[in-house]
Amino acid sequence: MRQFAKPLLAVAAICTAAAAQAQTAGSISGGDEMLDRIRAKWQPGGAEMIPQDVLTMFPCHDEELPCGKIPPPPVERVTFDGPLQGDAKRGEAIATNVRYGNCIACHILPGHEGGTIGPSLSEYSKRGMPLEYTYQRIWDVRAFNPYAFMPVYGPNRVLTDQEIRDVMVFIGTGGK
Amino acid sequence: MNRLLQLGLLLTLVATVHAQVQHDFWPGRERVIPHVSGDEMWSGTYKNWKDSEAVKKSMAAGMMSRDINFKDFRWLEKSFDGELKVDMGREVFHRKSSNGRSCATCHGENGEKLKGWYATQPRFSAKANRVIVAATQISICAKEHLSEDWPENTRNNSLLDMYLAYLSDGRDVDIDVTSGPMKEAYEKGRDLFFKRTGHFHFACASCHTGVTTQSYLRGQRPSTFFGDAAHYPIYHFPYRLPGDDVEDIFTLQHQIKSCQMLSRMLPGVEGSRTLTAIEVFLKASANGYKMSIPTQEYNMSTGYLLRDGL
Ligand code: HEC
Ligand code: HEC
Repeated sequence: MRQFAKPLLAVAAICTAAAAQAQTAGSISGGDEMLDRIRAKWQPGGAEMIPQDVLTMFPCHDEELPCGKIPPPPVERVTFDGPLQGDAKRGEAIATNVRYGNCIACHILPGHEGGTIGPSLSEYSKRGMPLEYTYQRIWDVRAFNPYAFMPVYGPNRVLTDQEIRDVMVFIGTGGK
Repeated sequence: MNRLLQLGLLLTLVATVHAQVQHDFWPGRERVIPHVSGDEMWSGTYKNWKDSEAVKKSMAAGMMSRDINFKDFRWLEKSFDGELKVDMGREVFHRKSSNGRSCATCHGENGEKLKGWYATQPRFSAKANRVIVAATQISICAKEHLSEDWPENTRNNSLLDMYLAYLSDGRDVDIDVTSGPMKEAYEKGRDLFFKRTGHFHFACASCHTGVTTQSYLRGQRPSTFFGDAAHYPIYHFPYRLPGDDVEDIFTLQHQIKSCQMLSRMLPGVEGSRTLTAIEVFLKASANGYKMSIPTQEYNMSTGYLLRDGL
């Protein structure tokens, strides 16, 4: 048995890498249709305060319900296709609205007081972080650290690709 | 070779499952203990608020609100509006139902026989054959003895909840989770508290441990999960969950549900096994802490804002 250990681990490592690769391609079941449904509910002025049918699509606390057994959304590693184009005004609205991106709950933003849980983003542009980095961090922060505090905006379709770009223009990413 | 492949696949499976589990739970479940002093391992501020004397001292020393784990703004003062709710609860307690009986018929004038009871809830109920919260006991009693329909999220239930908690004012929270169904409930509640759920993929622990505690979530102040349960239910105006008629009384069940809603998790059903387990976990995390009833969500003093320079 002993002499098999190494090759076994190697096989396992390769398979695991493949599995991890597969995870990156994940998205919520139902595709764009589901995305539209989620977003119609959450956008400001949406009809329901707590859209229950949408929330049952994600893992929940109640183990007696099907959602109690849904696994966590797979980590999504994304690449950024430039150039960065977006609408700063829209980005500002998304970042400061509690039913939208609500970045302000945790961050101080350009021109806005905000929470102190994450670092202040009021001078984020001066730090010249790569667009790739900022985009990935907002899309799925778990790519950097599984225990990071931000919501998983991309995988759970809280924000769309374009909305994240709008927010990036608003915080003035300053990167290349 | 076949064998080898099988083993490889098995290992892969284990590794993959492991990779997923790491995103399932917020870290730290193994570091909790069912006592308020457990906070020492989380915020490290326990000594600053372990009793009202400590809170007073910390404030006198000019400590920042966050150094007192935000326990200063409610813990010292009783709520006048809350007293009115206690009075209303007392009235429901003595009100005779259609069969001529009231809660007082069995539990004594002014709840004589229920002094200290609330500090020991939730507990295992042989009759229900599961662990239940106080509000569930109230609804069971109402149905069986008074022929009244007062489920957990109704007005009379919440008023009684406030009154019964008031009968334990000053007692130390004391629930035993060392064995049996209570231990099971505690461990399930703990795991649910650390489980990531909902649209944001947050756990309760995302906001009530680590960097989020002692920071500002915009204007709000999340604290660690130790001790808080000793002050529930609280008077909470003007806040009401959709569909609830609760006289601005926030039981711990309401609070859990409210946090679920605010963080885009599927809100649970009050009194359900799930929310009961979470309450057992929170209440046990207040073991050894003195109950203070009635208090309110925010007191009128804004001194803490000045001290924090916000
Ligand atoms: C629940 C709290 C929370 C919310 C909501 C939140 N963030 Fe964050 N953010 C953090 C924390 C905490 C960090 C520090 C790293 C970590 O733990 O994730 C961070 C880090 C960042 C960084 C990296 C900063 C650096 O110095 O590298 C950026 C950029 C960022 N957030 C942007 C956003 C944007 C844009 C939004 C909204 C669309 C947002 N955040 C919403 C908590 C939050
Ligand atoms: C997105 C952040 C967030 C999440 C997730 C969250 N909470 Fe909270 N919680 C808060 C904030 C902020 C407060 C304080 C409210 C205030 O300042 O008015 C709070 C207050 C509480 C309190 C009362 C503490 C006190 O002040 O006495 C309890 C108990 C509680 N939460 C339990 C939970 C449980 C259980 C869950 C999971 C189902 C949960 N929370 C999830 C943000 C959160």
